Amino acid sequence: MSETQGQRVNGHIRERFDTLVVGGGIAGLESALDLAEQGYRVLVVEKEASIGGKMIALSKVFPTLDCSSCITTPKMSAVAHHENIEIATHTSVTAIEENAGTHRVELVRRPTYVDEDLCIGCSLCEEACPIEYPDPFEEGLGSIRAIAVPFTNAIPQKAVLNPEYCIACGACAKVCPTDAVKFDQEQLIYHVDADSVIIASGFTLNSVYLKPQYNAAMSRNTITPMQLERLLAPHGPYGRVLRPSDGKVPDSIAFVLCAGSRDQSIGVPYCSRVCCMYSIKQAILLSGAVPLADITIYYMDIRAFGKGHEQFYKNAQAMGINFVNGKVARIDNIENNDMSLRIENLETGQVEENRHDLVVLAQGIIPQPVKPDGLNAVAGDDGFVERPEIHRPAWTGMEGVFVAGVAAGPKDIVDSIMDAGAAAAEASGFLSRREEKGKMFF
Amino acid sequence: MRTEENNGVPGEDIRIGVYVCMCGGNISDVIDVDRVAAAVGEIAGVTLAKVHPFMCSDPGQQTITEDIKTQKLNRVVVASCSPFLHELTFRTAVGRGGLNPYLYEHVNIREQGSWSHKDDPDGATIKAIRLIAAAIGKLRYAEPLEQIQISNFRRALVIGGGIAGMRSAVDLGKRGIEVLLVEKEPSLGGWVKEWEEIYPTGGKGAELIRRLNEELERLNEVTVLKGVRVSDLSGFVGNYNVTLENAGAGDEAELREVLGNAPYRAQAGAIIVAAGFEPYKPRAGEFGYESFPGVVTLPEFIEGLSEMQIHPEGRIFWRGRTVGSVAFIHCVGSRQIEGVHEKQDDGKINDYCSRTCCTAIVRNAALIRERFPGVHVYDFYQDIRTYGRGHEEIYTSAANTGVTFLRYHGEQPPVVEKGADGALLVRCNDRLTFGEEIEAAVDMVVLGVGMTPGAVGKVSEVLKLPVGADRFLQEVHPKLRPVEVSVNGVFLAGTAQGPMNIEEAFSAAGAAAAKASILLNNSTVQLDPFKANVDDESCIGCERCLSECVYTGALVMKEAKGTDGSTCRKAVVNPGLCVGCGACVAVCPTRAIYVNGWTLSQYEAMVDGLLNAPREGARIENA
Ligand SMILES: Cc1cc2nc3c(=O)[nH]c(=O)nc-3n(C[C@H](O)[C@H](O)[C@H](O)COP(=O)(O)OP(=O)(O)OC[C@H]3O[C@@H](n4cnc5c(N)ncnc54)[C@H](O)[C@@H]3O)c2cc1C
Ligand SMILES: Cc1cc2nc3c(=O)[nH]c(=O)nc-3n(C[C@H](O)[C@H](O)[C@H](O)COP(=O)(O)OP(=O)(O)OC[C@H]3O[C@@H](n4cnc5c(N)ncnc54)[C@H](O)[C@@H]3O)c2cc1C
Repeated sequence: MSETQGQRVNGHIRERFDTLVVGGGIAGLESALDLAEQGYRVLVVEKEASIGGKMIALSKVFPTLDCSSCITTPKMSAVAHHENIEIATHTSVTAIEENAGTHRVELVRRPTYVDEDLCIGCSLCEEACPIEYPDPFEEGLGSIRAIAVPFTNAIPQKAVLNPEYCIACGACAKVCPTDAVKFDQEQLIYHVDADSVIIASGFTLNSVYLKPQYNAAMSRNTITPMQLERLLAPHGPYGRVLRPSDGKVPDSIAFVLCAGSRDQSIGVPYCSRVCCMYSIKQAILLSGAVPLADITIYYMDIRAFGKGHEQFYKNAQAMGINFVNGKVARIDNIENNDMSLRIENLETGQVEENRHDLVVLAQGIIPQPVKPDGLNAVAGDDGFVERPEIHRPAWTGMEGVFVAGVAAGPKDIVDSIMDAGAAAAEASGFLSRREEKGKMFF
Repeated sequence: MRTEENNGVPGEDIRIGVYVCMCGGNISDVIDVDRVAAAVGEIAGVTLAKVHPFMCSDPGQQTITEDIKTQKLNRVVVASCSPFLHELTFRTAVGRGGLNPYLYEHVNIREQGSWSHKDDPDGATIKAIRLIAAAIGKLRYAEPLEQIQISNFRRALVIGGGIAGMRSAVDLGKRGIEVLLVEKEPSLGGWVKEWEEIYPTGGKGAELIRRLNEELERLNEVTVLKGVRVSDLSGFVGNYNVTLENAGAGDEAELREVLGNAPYRAQAGAIIVAAGFEPYKPRAGEFGYESFPGVVTLPEFIEGLSEMQIHPEGRIFWRGRTVGSVAFIHCVGSRQIEGVHEKQDDGKINDYCSRTCCTAIVRNAALIRERFPGVHVYDFYQDIRTYGRGHEEIYTSAANTGVTFLRYHGEQPPVVEKGADGALLVRCNDRLTFGEEIEAAVDMVVLGVGMTPGAVGKVSEVLKLPVGADRFLQEVHPKLRPVEVSVNGVFLAGTAQGPMNIEEAFSAAGAAAAKASILLNNSTVQLDPFKANVDDESCIGCERCLSECVYTGALVMKEAKGTDGSTCRKAVVNPGLCVGCGACVAVCPTRAIYVNGWTLSQYEAMVDGLLNAPREGARIENA
């Protein structure tokens, strides 16, 4: 293990930073790099065990079909190795308080039960551990040991023990060559000062159970789009696309768009903005992975508005993917673990009952639930971070506090990256003025 | 492993580490990576050859840095994906290991291997072995190289003073960086200053521009020149020289004050192109445009809004006409389909979505209903793309105010005709009523025209800025590097790059400012060393290289003293402009020119490598 990394990741964090970045998804990483490259010192705080956000788990990205982990890892690695950036993972920002022109930040590092300074990421503990549980990185489709490095290209490469599943048998501690397993590790609360803050806490997805008429709770073959991303990833849980209930290759796949958005009844009246495009992408990838399958996308409006998106949509149509204009009214689970979709086809006016053996529900994109104390003020009606001034789309209205990426509303990767640049520009402007003010006073 | 042969580099033991990446199956599902590693491990000078599931992951990179230290490697090869993705990643890792980062070769066995030869795993495996053998050959003759440092003029030139250009200028100014903002029109603000009400805030366009202007005026770092155009440009990253000319509305006295006497010249280290868009101009007769009075484009309608008076019964009174019904048509000049729509003058169709029109149209449709409740409003659309934050609400409110929505098929756009009584007839097969043919008789038709790229002019010509199939300026990578272009030191801001709404154009402009700040943060710029180099001794001054070079200024002749003391002419390379293409190398009769990192002996060694790859590369069955 290189010493530099051991020091920078979580290790002995300095006390003062120019910028605190909350969230290590693509938006947070891009902001951090844009600032660090200008010489500012940045702390990236990530609540999960690895940086990379949602993007590191995606299969390929629309509309370029670049392999997602291939284009995310260089960013992750650049951040991890940057001399001006420190990373704190498994850590949440719990409070931010403005204090004499800077921000006092409270950080809570949840225990991983592994001493990060000692762990060399050798995975011997993982091999020794007798307990497996559904792997969160694989969206529950595969399994992972109770102590393990979270996924192959995770940064940092440190084992994390999950106390919910661990039976404290001690097998891991016995094989660990560096005595890094610490069953008595406690949570660590500490403080840093940061002159500016960028909120890049991203999103989560609303529950597929919100719509009881879709009966997702009772069906293993009604899956989430993130699960399908994992099924399509080259190094995914099954290595190929199989349906979860019986491992059968699906032959009739349905995408239900707006299954958790544009729907007042479930509290998400807005458009989640990326579902049309990622569903088209997934449909295209599926027609390569399971060439014999019929693929149908049920939609209200196809919102292929970004650069190169309309052509992507046209390609999908040309490939024989079936686009049906209609809202799915209900989904019933029928024999063979198949599903029957009841839709009103808006083209024909007919009510149809269509049978599919794999159904993907495009969930709504909602903000991360936990906002640090002191930042609640910046949440808008929809829960995403508010921006009071249209001409400063990265500014939250709080002095020195900016926002980037999906934390300010649903958007795709490229728009998140643009946002991240804008937030970095605002933060660097703010920091420069601070320097100037400093010069005036001292 | 075989013993060391003569490797052509005197006084140094070559110790090469080769790493073959599986790319999580992307490579190893087709290519037999173990066989590749075993085969190339046999090549003289190869100290170790390893296979790894993800070389780009941190553990993968650490394998390299540790092997450099513990195995005393002095050359590294990684065989993985395209160098566009990870050449820099591994070069940096090699540097971290303490080795000169240019003693590294990248071999593409994914895009040019496993992906392109899916059906021939054995062939793909052999190809990988040969390509790696070639890289090993090249590395034998590799020498440590240093980045080239050139001076950097710490000022940004921003071309276009719409909201994007203004935002970039404000961000850079606040960062303490000098900015020259040039706008060809007499005032700043671009199209937004024309928009009476802007979505999603409901504010006035002119008010937004006023606030931006205020911010600009507070910044001493920013100089704004209005009514001015770039008439000439030369130079390269860190050192652009620009000549400005009065576009008709410029203030000569101000120009002289800022730039001295004509010709007006200025220097800049970076350029931000924010030349914006032009609304699509319908052809005469397209949806009745210019054929029937009462057919206007959305920008024309918006510009007319302030003149529109309310007529009894809540109708519109505008330019001597009473308007009791209006039809909006979406996707005019956007989402065009080959065979359905007529081609543009350049033979292309505008097949892209203009992104901003849907929300602008539904907002204006609702606005009519709010201000002129006696007017019937029809909205002919394909898909309503109100995707942004606060946009869906605008769509809902348009429906609630009583706008009638009709949905047409892209292949069957609505038809606008003149009715017998002088009314305009808009006809389409409405998908919402299952294909029923619907005809709406209206007094006015508003064409929701899309965006086409603005005219960047000279800058684009001189710098050969790349454009996409949609004619908008094209970024380096549409996902990861959206504001950079392939020309070093040039960045994109706003709709010059593609359709965006105000908020998005602001974000893009901020991102461009961030990248420009990084570049202008230092007084020097670092360039990759892969540039042509002239050996003065061998150069005979024949100038053949000069006539071959297409990068103006990259090669020039200079006076020099020959070995006998006489003056002669020699070729000199300007590393800022040289792209290292090697055209000069090919024509040099005395082999006086070579490209750093790509010497002729390296080419020869690569060919040797390809041809003499280890026997295991032959078609043999795997045990
Ligand atoms: C199924 C699916 C497929 C998609 N496919 C594509 C695609 O093909 N192309 C495309 O362009 N886009 C795609 N997207 C959209 C893409 O995922 C987002 O644009 C992108 O992930 C946004 O990045 P972000 O950094 O803003 O947010 P995130 O990726 O959500 O990252 C936020 C990070 O912040 C962390 N965090 C949150 N709260 C805190 C806290 N309080 N303290 C510390 N850390 C915190 C989170 O753990 C997370 O790591 C897809 C989305 C989905 C759901
Ligand atoms: C009808 C319509 C309504 C809209 N309404 C809204 C809305 O309500 N809300 C919203 O968010 N968005 C709206 N938009 C989108 C919005 O107009 C754009 O996002 C915005 O104008 C983009 O700004 P820009 O700076 O990129 O380009 P522009 O506004 O086009 O500005 C470019 C500037 O560069 C100058 N320029 C061009 N070439 C040169 C050159 N070679 N040298 C010097 N100067 C040059 C131009 O004169 C111009 O001033 C609307 C668009 C349309 C078509």
